[in-house]
Amino acid sequence: MLLELRKNSNFVCRKVVTVSSLVTTLTETLRYKGAIGQWSWVLHRITGLGVLFFFILHIIDTSWSVFYPELYEKAIAIYQTPLFTLGEFVLVACVVYHAFNGLRIGVLDYNPRWWRFQQRAAVWVLVATVVLLIPVFLLMLGHVIKYYGSNPTVLPLSEVLAEQLPFVIGIGAGIVAAFIFAVFAGLILGNKEKAVVGGISKGSKLERFWWSYMRMSGLLIIPLVFGHLAVMHVVQGVFDLTVAGTSIPGVTATVTQLGAGEYLGNAINDTGTAVEFVGERWNYLVLSVAIWRFYDFALLFLAGVHGFNGLRYVLTDYTAKSVLLRRTATYACIIGAVVVIGVGGAALAGTITNTSVKMAEKARIALVGEIQSHGGDEQEEATNESATEETSTESTDN
Amino acid sequence: MDITFRIRRYNPEAGGKAKPYWQEFELKDVEPTNRVLEMLHRVKWEQDGTLSFRRSCSSGICGSDAMRINGRNMLACKVLVRDVVTGAKNTIQVEPILGLPVLKDLIVDMEPFFAHYREVMPYFINNDPVPANGRERLQSQEDRDIFDDTTNCILCAACTTSCPSFWANGKYVGPAAIVQAHRFIFDSRDQGWKDRLAVLSEPNGVWRCRTIYNCTPACPRHIEVTRAIGEVKLAIQRGKREGIIDPATIPSKFHG
Ligand code: HEM
Ligand code: HEM
Ligand code: SF4
Ligand code: FES
Repeated sequence: MLLELRKNSNFVCRKVVTVSSLVTTLTETLRYKGAIGQWSWVLHRITGLGVLFFFILHIIDTSWSVFYPELYEKAIAIYQTPLFTLGEFVLVACVVYHAFNGLRIGVLDYNPRWWRFQQRAAVWVLVATVVLLIPVFLLMLGHVIKYYGSNPTVLPLSEVLAEQLPFVIGIGAGIVAAFIFAVFAGLILGNKEKAVVGGISKGSKLERFWWSYMRMSGLLIIPLVFGHLAVMHVVQGVFDLTVAGTSIPGVTATVTQLGAGEYLGNAINDTGTAVEFVGERWNYLVLSVAIWRFYDFALLFLAGVHGFNGLRYVLTDYTAKSVLLRRTATYACIIGAVVVIGVGGAALAGTITNTSVKMAEKARIALVGEIQSHGGDEQEEATNESATEETSTESTDN
Repeated sequence: MDITFRIRRYNPEAGGKAKPYWQEFELKDVEPTNRVLEMLHRVKWEQDGTLSFRRSCSSGICGSDAMRINGRNMLACKVLVRDVVTGAKNTIQVEPILGLPVLKDLIVDMEPFFAHYREVMPYFINNDPVPANGRERLQSQEDRDIFDDTTNCILCAACTTSCPSFWANGKYVGPAAIVQAHRFIFDSRDQGWKDRLAVLSEPNGVWRCRTIYNCTPACPRHIEVTRAIGEVKLAIQRGKREGIIDPATIPSKFHG
C-alpha cells in the first residue's frame, strides 16, 4: 500500500548528484579535519588494498609450485631480493594493522552503543599493532641479516621488475574483460541505475550478506593469516625456504627411508628448493587428511572473497558517477576472485612429485649457482644420501 | 581582538570569479564570545556585500548555516570565535560543506540532500483508525525514550557532508536520512518501519557506511549519529526492531 503510494507520487525527487571528482574526493579526505576514525579508515582501506595486491601475486606464484616448478623457484628467488624483503615488512605491518582495526570495526558495528570508546579503541589498535610488530620485526630482521650476510646470489632489480610484467598484463586483461562484459550488460540491461536508494524497494539481501561476511570472515582470517605468517616469517624466514637440510615447519616425517630420487616425506628440505618445501607441507597427512592443504584452502577462500569484495566496495565508491564504470568495477572483482581462487584451488588439488622437486632443483641451481645448505649437526643426520649425491651432480652439470 | 577570515568564494555569474578562490578579510574589535555567524555578517555589512551565505534563526534551530569551519563541519551560529581562531593572525577558515553542488560562496544546493531525506519516508505511518476518544496514540515513556535522540535532528546536513562515503558517492543516502529514518523505525506506534528498513538496505543505503565516525562529532545537536546508523544496520540484519537499542544507554538518560 505504502510502496504504491511512493510509486505514484511525484513527491520522491530523484535529483541526486555526486559532485566531487575522484581527485577532490581524495584531496578533501585529506583536508577535512575528522577525528582519528577518519585516519583509521584511510589506513584500513590502504592496508586492505595492499594486502590484496600482494595476495593476487602470491596465489598465482604459489600455484606454480604445482604447475611450473621451475617458475616457482624463480618466484621465490625474486622474493629473496631487497625490494621484496622491504615489501615483506610492509606487508606484515599491513596485515597486522588491518586485522586489529577490522576487529575494532566489527566489535563497534555489532555494539553501536559503544561509540564513545571508538577513539580510544582506534588508538589502542595503533598501540597493539606497534607492540606486536616490534618483536616480529626483530625476528624478521634476524633472518634478513643472516641471509644477506651470507653473500647470496641476488637477482638484479631489473629482472625482478621484468618478472612482474605478466601480472600487470594479466590484471589489465581482467579489467578489459570486465569492461567488455559491462558494455554488453549495458546493452541488455540499459545504462540507467536506480538514481537513489529506495524507490520501490525490497532491499538488497546480497549487500546484507556481504556486510556480515566481511566481519565474520575477518574474524576467521585472523588466526589463519597470523599462523601462516608466523610459519613464513617468524619461525623461519622466506630465506629458509631454500636452504638444504632445513626441517620443514608444521610437518613430521612420514617416511623413514627415502629411495633413490625421492625427496618428499621426510620433513626435511633435502634439495633446498621452495617446491620441496611446499611439497612436504601439502603432502603431509594427519589421519589421511592433508591438513595444510585444508588450512591453505580456508585461507585462500576466505581471504580471496573478503579481499575482492573489499575491492568492490572501494571501486564502486569511486565510480558512483558512471553505471558503466561501476559495472566494470564489479565484474573485475568477480573475475579476479574467480581466477585467483580457481588457480589457487587447482594448485591445492594438484600434486607435487619427486619429479617436480628435481626440476625445481635444476632451476634453482641455474638461478643462484649453488644451493645454500644448513650448517651444523642437524644437517648431517638430516640430509639423506641420495639427495646429497643429486645435489653434487647437478652442481657439476652447471 | 582582531581576527582574519579566510573564506572560500565562488560566484559563477561574476566575470573572472567562476573558479573558487580564497579571500581574506580582517575584522577589528571582535569579542572572543562573538559567534562566527555574527562576524560573517560584519564582513558582509561592513566590507563586502556580495558575500553570500544562508542563515535564518541565528540560534541553532533552523539548520541553515552548516559550513566547514577550520576544516570541520559546524553551525556558524553556534560556534564562538574564541573556540576556532588559530595562529598569530587569529584566523578562521570558512568554506562550504562538501559533497553538494556549490551555488555561490557558502551556499550549496540542498536538494540532493532533501531527496535522500524523502527517500526514507520521514513521516509517521499508522493505518489503524485513530483512537476512539479522538486523541493521540499513546506510548509508554520507555518506548518514547528509545528514539528520543534522533528526534533532535534539524536537517543541517553537517553529518552527511562530513562523510567520506558521501563525498565519493552522492547516491549514498547519508547519515542524516538514516537518523531521520531511525526516529520513525524505532517509534513503537509507527507501522512503516519495515518499508524503511527495505529502502535502507539497498546497495546505496546503510551498507555504504564504513563506520568512520566523522558524522558523530559533526552534529551540532550532539545526536549519536553513527550509533543510530549502527542500530538501523542491526535492525536490518535481524529483521526486527525490538531489543536493538539498550534502554539503559539511551542518550536522554545520559544527559539527565
Ligand atoms: C611474504 C609473506 C608470505 C610468505 C613468504 C608466504 C609463503 C607461502 C608459501 C611458502 C605457501 C605454500 C604453501 C604452504 O607452505 O603452506 C603459501 C601459500 C599460501 N599463502 Fe602465503 N605467504 C605469505 C603471505 C601470505 C598472506 C598475507 C596471505 C593471505 C592474505 C597468504 C595466503 C596464502 C594462501 C591462501 C596460500 C595457498 C596458496 C594456493 O592455494 O595455491 N600468504 N604462502
Ligand atoms: C586479518 C583479518 C582481517 C580482518 C579482521 C578484516 C576486517 C575487515 C573489515 C571489518 C572490513 C570493513 C568492511 C566494511 O566496511 O564493510 C574490511 C575491509 C577490507 N578488507 Fe579486510 N580484514 C582482514 C583481512 C583482509 C585480507 C587478508 C585482505 C586482502 C586479501 C583484506 C582486504 C580488505 C579490503 C580490500 C577491504 C575494503 C576496505 C574498504 O572498504 O575501505 N582484508 N576488512
Ligand atoms: S543528525 Fe545532526 S548533523 Fe545530521 S542533519 Fe541532523 S542535526 Fe544536522
Ligand atoms: S542560523 Fe539557524 S541553525 Fe544556524
